Amino acid sequence: MLLIRCPYCEAERPELEFTYAGEAHIARPADPSKLNDDEWKTHLFIRSNPRGTHFERWRHQHGCGRFFNAVRDTVSDKFAMTYKAGLPRPTETELEKARS
Amino acid sequence: MTSYRIPEKGRVNQGKPVRFTFNGASYVGFEGDTLASALLANGVHLIGRSFKYHRPRGFLSAGSEEPNALVGTDRGPGRFEPNTRATVLEVFDGLNTTSQNHWPSLKRDIGAVNDALYMLFSAGFYYKTFMWPKSFWNKVYEPIIRGAAGLGKSPTTPDPDTYASRFAHCDVLVVGSGPAGLAAALDAGKSGAKVILVDEQAELGGSLLSETDAGINGQSGWQWLEEARSALAAMNNVTVLTRTTAIGYYHQNLVGLCQRLTDHLPNPPADAPRERLWKVRAHQVVLAQGSIEKPLVFEGNDRPGVMLAGSARSYLNRYGVKVGNRPVIVTSHDSAWLAAFDLAEAGVKVAAIIDIRPNVSGHLMESAAALGVEVLSGWTVTGTSGRLRVASVRANPVSRSGVVGSARTIACDALLMSGGWTPSIHLFSHTKGKLDWNEEGQMFLPGEATEESRCAGAGNGVFSLAAALAEGAAAGAAAALDAGFAAKAASYRVDGELVLTGANNRELPTDRNTSKAKAFVDFQNDVTAKDIRLAVREGFKSIEHIKRYTTTGMATDQGKTSNINGLAIASDAVKRPAPAVGLTTFRPPYTPTTFGAFAGYNRGELFEVTRKTPIDGWAEQNGAEFEPVSLWRRAWYFPKKGETMHAAVARECKSVRESLGMFDASTLGKIEIVGPDAAEFMNRMYTNSWTKLAPGRLRYGLMLGEDGFIRDDGVIGRLTTDRFHVTTTTGGAARVLGMMEDYLQTEWPDLKVWLTSTTEQWAVIALNGPNARKLIEPLVEGIDLSDEAFPHMSVAEGKICGVPTRLFRVSFTGELGYEINVPARYGRAVWEELYRAGQQHGITPYGTETMHVLRAEKGYIIVGQDTDGTVTPDDAGLGWAIGKAKPDFVGKRSLTRPDMQKADRKQLVGLLTTDPNTVLEEGAQIVLDPSQTLPMKMVGHVTSSYWSAALGRSIAMAVIEGGKAREGETIHVPTPGRTHTAKVVGTVFFDPENKRLSA
Amino acid sequence: MLHEHHPLIGREIAVRKVTPLNIRAVADGARFVLRIDPAQAAQAAKAFGSPLPGKIGDVTVSKGRLAVRLGPDEWHLVVPLTEQEAIETAFAKLYATVPHSLVDVSHREIGIAVEGVAAMLALRSAIAFDIGGMPVGTGCRTIFDKAQIILVREAEDRFRIEVWRSFADHVWGILDAASREIALGI
Repeated sequence: MLLIRCPYCEAERPELEFTYAGEAHIARPADPSKLNDDEWKTHLFIRSNPRGTHFERWRHQHGCGRFFNAVRDTVSDKFAMTYKAGLPRPTETELEKARS
Repeated sequence: MTSYRIPEKGRVNQGKPVRFTFNGASYVGFEGDTLASALLANGVHLIGRSFKYHRPRGFLSAGSEEPNALVGTDRGPGRFEPNTRATVLEVFDGLNTTSQNHWPSLKRDIGAVNDALYMLFSAGFYYKTFMWPKSFWNKVYEPIIRGAAGLGKSPTTPDPDTYASRFAHCDVLVVGSGPAGLAAALDAGKSGAKVILVDEQAELGGSLLSETDAGINGQSGWQWLEEARSALAAMNNVTVLTRTTAIGYYHQNLVGLCQRLTDHLPNPPADAPRERLWKVRAHQVVLAQGSIEKPLVFEGNDRPGVMLAGSARSYLNRYGVKVGNRPVIVTSHDSAWLAAFDLAEAGVKVAAIIDIRPNVSGHLMESAAALGVEVLSGWTVTGTSGRLRVASVRANPVSRSGVVGSARTIACDALLMSGGWTPSIHLFSHTKGKLDWNEEGQMFLPGEATEESRCAGAGNGVFSLAAALAEGAAAGAAAALDAGFAAKAASYRVDGELVLTGANNRELPTDRNTSKAKAFVDFQNDVTAKDIRLAVREGFKSIEHIKRYTTTGMATDQGKTSNINGLAIASDAVKRPAPAVGLTTFRPPYTPTTFGAFAGYNRGELFEVTRKTPIDGWAEQNGAEFEPVSLWRRAWYFPKKGETMHAAVARECKSVRESLGMFDASTLGKIEIVGPDAAEFMNRMYTNSWTKLAPGRLRYGLMLGEDGFIRDDGVIGRLTTDRFHVTTTTGGAARVLGMMEDYLQTEWPDLKVWLTSTTEQWAVIALNGPNARKLIEPLVEGIDLSDEAFPHMSVAEGKICGVPTRLFRVSFTGELGYEINVPARYGRAVWEELYRAGQQHGITPYGTETMHVLRAEKGYIIVGQDTDGTVTPDDAGLGWAIGKAKPDFVGKRSLTRPDMQKADRKQLVGLLTTDPNTVLEEGAQIVLDPSQTLPMKMVGHVTSSYWSAALGRSIAMAVIEGGKAREGETIHVPTPGRTHTAKVVGTVFFDPENKRLSA
Repeated sequence: MLHEHHPLIGREIAVRKVTPLNIRAVADGARFVLRIDPAQAAQAAKAFGSPLPGKIGDVTVSKGRLAVRLGPDEWHLVVPLTEQEAIETAFAKLYATVPHSLVDVSHREIGIAVEGVAAMLALRSAIAFDIGGMPVGTGCRTIFDKAQIILVREAEDRFRIEVWRSFADHVWGILDAASREIALGI
């Protein structure tokens, strides 16, 4: 069971309170009708699925209820950092800082 | 019977005898004994038969690493446990134990014929022997394998015990209470840090319990242990858990502990849980797991009476038991000499010390000479004899050039071996911590840690007592420091400790044919050295493959005594260094753990949450049968005395269609959506258009995933311009709310709208039938129920039976219907009032089955039954629910993807069986041509199927490829024994004009 | 008014041995979920007539009114039943200028008081987070075994659980089992 830092509660809480919510930074297009079939397919189904650093969404469902973003290593399962929904993807420098 | 107990020796309470049985015979042991020590004290070595060859086996060890001595324990009705390790089982008055894996008796076992047929059971026999002929598999091989497989017998009755669980948080968790663990706990404890110290044994001390030579800080080891124990007990910040095994080490310093609470008690309190699973989150972890002695690999090393030398020393020093009257020692490590010396000093005639090493340190030789023990250094052991107990050992000299000379036979009644010591790195390995190979010690040592942890003592390859104490103290202090406490490592002075060394060896050299020798590596799975070599010859090069092919290390002991020997032999055979061959990964649990401990409180009524509606109690009192629907239990139908389900459902359906039925719909998910942008939010979440829905009106809402498939549906009421009362399916409530929150928080945070779950705020009573209005008219205040003022699909707030209500006029049956929402705590009373008042109309409570039939007669779908996550609105015949003018809603874009518009998509249709009495099975597959060859092409399946009392025949719904275009065609439903035929029809079977809704 | 049915009515767990423990259903109050833009929380506090906690996890208790801030825009309010209407009216008035959501969930929840020296031990049977590190006067949503609850630490040895009514039996069952262990001192 992981401990996850909720950026809204500003506290580490047990994984039991959280649900995973897929890859982060995939914004819903403002007007999906403008996308052709291929672009829509990519938006819907194509995910990066990396080995290593993954930007992903979690929800503190049984806590404050908020969706937020996290950077987790898919090999070690270690979180580098978590940050509020809507914030930009952290830069490599910010990530390095968070890891150390 | 001769006693092997030495009076006044050991830590067991020789003043407190306990009686127990083994295989029906009664024995006496002492308080503090394990089953193993108590049986050995009675001269019993034969404890079981081996797994594959049914060879007689005795105790190999004195601890939790034991591979051989597995017994069944019987603590009374339902309390039989197989595979309990006799070496850790504490005896108590009335304990009953049996040996296992033999028939008809332990001493004469038919299965031992396998021993002679060993060539059939060599490496990979699972894969080779039973390959052909194919027809033999079901009838011959599988029954034989199943009959022969497995250790011990599973209990057949439910476990009557209860189990507990507990979470804990601490600054420093110390695993293992040997010298290193104690030193760590003491220094961490003194710092004020919150410390938990765990040990799997009944008392603290670890290796100190078997050590009588060395002294600490001027005291004897045992005196120091007593002081350490009292010091820890006196610290309020230290929790000591004995009989507690750290079974697994998980992410971020979460360690699972299994605490055995009552197994050692002759009369445990009736209410007491048997075990407790702790989930400890520690800031810092100190692993002081100690080490396990390695057996030597030689022919006949598995005979009863052959055991680890260190274990023999434990039996002597800790339990006061000599394991034989004429032991021989065979070793490549100094530590076994200590066993010989202790035994000799206790008056036992040690027949010989055979040391593989040509040169042994002088002080050992001198001590042996002083005690009159013959030493054969530079010798090997090449065999043993004795059917049920070792009777002699065959020893040969080995020349400097490695030539094995002629044999000499030495009579003995125990053979004590040592191949050196293996650090226990199991928990460290659970964390995927890096392991470093130590060539000199032939062992893996903890390397770089992935967690906030430290290893100390023998578990870290530090075997001397002085060094272990120092390292433990340093680890405890450092851990406390890292946890934020000022700590200092104590220093210890150790006297009388010998420096012990050893040499490495593979299989012992022999003058015999090694391809025939049964030199065991894995005692529990009966894997020999030649099996491993065979696996390598057959092409397996990685230890992971060798392990699976030979099954070495795959038994319940996870190869605690065998992994390193197996690796060494494999490494030689592959001709690559050990680390290149690899060590298999250790996985939790460290030792076998009961399912009960994992289940904890979650059994029986607490197995899972059982959600009950406010009206559930009434249903139970009125004879309802229940069915589970997600976490809820719902009234399924209400049989009258002696009534079948079929008859009850037919009666309930008839009553609704003819007069009046009442149904508990409280489980429906409910969400209150409030805010100025509520309608806009609804427009985006649901396919339908909400802008023009007037306050006071209801609308059927259909929700899709972004992929265009149906996710949920429900009736939604607009209470005011800014407030919607949304209902969802029973199982979809949490999912729908989560999906709404997701879009609101992350895609449209600008919308001024908020969501609240009100599922449990409201009890919901559905009234359906021509007399529904008549019933509630006199009970409702503040709402004009006339058809004009309150038509079908209306909602209003008022009172019913004097309590507030949100009254829906809606129907899921096709009859005049209402859904009466009242605050939950009034649900039951309102239900009872309605039931009483409804007697004049013959009001009939009905359950989910009748609800299903009535809605199917009307062709109303149930999301999750008639849909499965691949059904579009159009597939389900719900194209009308799409607000075509809306620019966007969740899932809209997907509806125009090419795949979503194919003509041969599976579409929802109705089915009428040719035989009106045939009720098809839900889930049955549909084919177009029943005479085609197998495997037939399946074009769809039945989703809903019932007996319709109203129509006097069966009805069904199904999804069929291109189904809508097949209306009028006949399809076929093959079922075992018979193929049914049915006609494809529309989905509305009853009152297609909806006349009854406004009746 | 009709009779109110309550899953835990009349039930009590009492351990009077070495480690006293008392677990009981608390008297019902009116409960609301308040959701509002946090920037406008001050106006909501005015309508509520008592301060609203400003930090997620904080609790205010004033004039018998309990407010727990569960999330950035979510407060759980418990007030005496007699004040229900007044609060609803005040918030209805506020809505015209400050849109928000106030939803009556009085019947959704059951309140359970867990009190005594062994209170924390009882809760640790099924709560994963470090309750020992939870300051008095804070509260949060969490998981109790398999049920979602709101846990408020009202005093060193007194906790309040708010749980959806259909989960109350399950929570009670586990507290009951844990209290038997506490009574046995095992």
